[in-house]
Amino acid sequence: MSIEVRGINKRFGATVVCDNVDLDIPSGELVALLGPSGSGKTTLLRIIAGLEVPDSGTVLFQGQDATSADVCKRRVGFVFQHYALFGHMTIFENVAFGLRVRPRATRPDEAQIRKKVTELLKLVQLDWIADRFPHQLSGGQRQRIALARALAVEPEVLLLDEPFGALDARVRKELRRWLRRLHDEMNVTSVFVTHDQEEAMEVADRIVVMNHGRIEQDGPPDEVYDHPATPFVLQFLGDVNIFHGRLGQPAGQGGDVSFVRPHELDIVAAAVPGSIVATLVQALTVGPNTRLEFRRDDDQAYVDVEMPRTDWQALRERLGLATGSKVHLLPRRLTRFSADDFDPAAMI
Amino acid sequence: MSAASASEKAPRRIDEATSEPAWVRRLLIGIALAFLAVFLFVPLVAVFVEALKKGLDVYLAAISEPDAVSAIKLTLIAAGISVPLNLVFGVAAAWAIAKFDFRGKNVLLTLIDLPFSVSPVIAGLVFVLVFGLQGWFGEWLRDHDLKIIFALPGIVIATIFITFPFVARELIPLMQAQGNEQEEAARVLGAGGWQIFRRITLPNVKWALLYGVILCNARAMGEFGAVSVVSGHIRGQTNTMPLHIEILYNEYQFAAAFAVASLLAFLALVTLALKYWVERNAASRRQVAASVEAVPT
Repeated sequence: MSIEVRGINKRFGATVVCDNVDLDIPSGELVALLGPSGSGKTTLLRIIAGLEVPDSGTVLFQGQDATSADVCKRRVGFVFQHYALFGHMTIFENVAFGLRVRPRATRPDEAQIRKKVTELLKLVQLDWIADRFPHQLSGGQRQRIALARALAVEPEVLLLDEPFGALDARVRKELRRWLRRLHDEMNVTSVFVTHDQEEAMEVADRIVVMNHGRIEQDGPPDEVYDHPATPFVLQFLGDVNIFHGRLGQPAGQGGDVSFVRPHELDIVAAAVPGSIVATLVQALTVGPNTRLEFRRDDDQAYVDVEMPRTDWQALRERLGLATGSKVHLLPRRLTRFSADDFDPAAMI
Repeated sequence: MSAASASEKAPRRIDEATSEPAWVRRLLIGIALAFLAVFLFVPLVAVFVEALKKGLDVYLAAISEPDAVSAIKLTLIAAGISVPLNLVFGVAAAWAIAKFDFRGKNVLLTLIDLPFSVSPVIAGLVFVLVFGLQGWFGEWLRDHDLKIIFALPGIVIATIFITFPFVARELIPLMQAQGNEQEEAARVLGAGGWQIFRRITLPNVKWALLYGVILCNARAMGEFGAVSVVSGHIRGQTNTMPLHIEILYNEYQFAAAFAVASLLAFLALVTLALKYWVERNAASRRQVAASVEAVPT
């Protein structure tokens, strides 16, 4: 089922949470709403679910206006950030809940419920856990049960609020892949909210970057990363060095701000056009990559460079680099925005 | 060398950072126990001793005498009506306050505490002024042959007023802490309002609810002030147990007074035992939940 969001506005008191948001989600797509906390992404998700009522604007499901449709009639599955499992029910009963509360006419009989729930528990690979209670499960298991419970009502749209937020790094990684596979199998239109750009890039077909209640950019992960529409998107999607209109720029155009990602800076031995002089402050190796911290000689600003560890080792040998060495940094790729677009406070 | 051997004999006890010196602990515990003994335990024992002082026959006669039986019945009826009603009112009030945002919520929250802050005698007087013969609705009630003051309805109304906060006060903090997430989850899964309440909200607060009901019942049976004002002390008709005890005492029938008092005290002890059981259950459930929360995922 496709989702269309048209001109949604929502404010809580004086705070604008959604500012005239338009969004199209085609049927079967897996979309990430990405943004810092307070950017309005969770509120937008809750408006789509019907848990929150917009001040103005409409939500269309498959072209039909669903704005005033009751939550329980929208056929959405919602996975809450803290799972919201029913603590006094067994896992089986948690998953069966959506079937048991149906009106008598459409309620499946006990045997059908049993079959359906067992199927779902198998799908999330937790069928051996049916008789336990939520508090006996680990975080990752609870997450999967929450998903199975949401899927029990055969939703046409699956909405997930920070689905991996409360899990540790390793479980997170596993669940991301698992969610991606699950989505490919079930082909339910899915929207998930996250503040983790890596998560969004890894899982989603499309990323919608939000800030201050507005959509900054909407596109496939590669496009959003390689061709950011605004300085905010550029900075939110990864580390970046900021140069204020002096790098590789003829004089007189100083009003622009240039951005270079740390892995798109080369270290060269001699000055070339567009390079800057900098001093190595420290080198840190984390896993396969080495992060180098430089200080520019002209304005004393810090510049980060990142490269594979082996490249760094070779380079260090070749140029005889140590802390305090002077080098020339040459950007391979620059992204420029006019200074008007650039709001340093947006990143805080 | 000697220090080493000494430490082998008596390993040095390391106190926890928050514990006090032994003499402070003993002193504080001693004071608390002495206080408990003088103000709680001795009176409780005294009630039973005085009740049985003149023998079991006198005791049994005192509690099976028609006026006493009528008082016991009336107390049970009044509690039997007001506790279920307050259960419903309390749940409704807590539900409204914890789950919804509306204007005047704080005013409602304060009003719920009114019965605790107002003297019971005043509460009784208010109802006499409203429903009494000289009161606002007095003539209308007389014309329709309805009797509220100096009758069972008045006693029930006064009891409801006095015991209203117990259930609501017990539920509100718990429901507020639990938040709305589980209800929202149930809603998205297609449950209606009543299904959400019965299958999600109620099971989540059942221990607090039971606890509130027990406290409410204890007060409903023991209430003296407000009921005393509205009942009119008609022997065999509008005397509850506390009122009956007072009358017997004023008539110097000490053994009989204490006999009925011992019954009331016994009911209180049963209530306390129930309360202890409920608290233990609720606490063990909380512990299980907490210990699992602490397990890394």
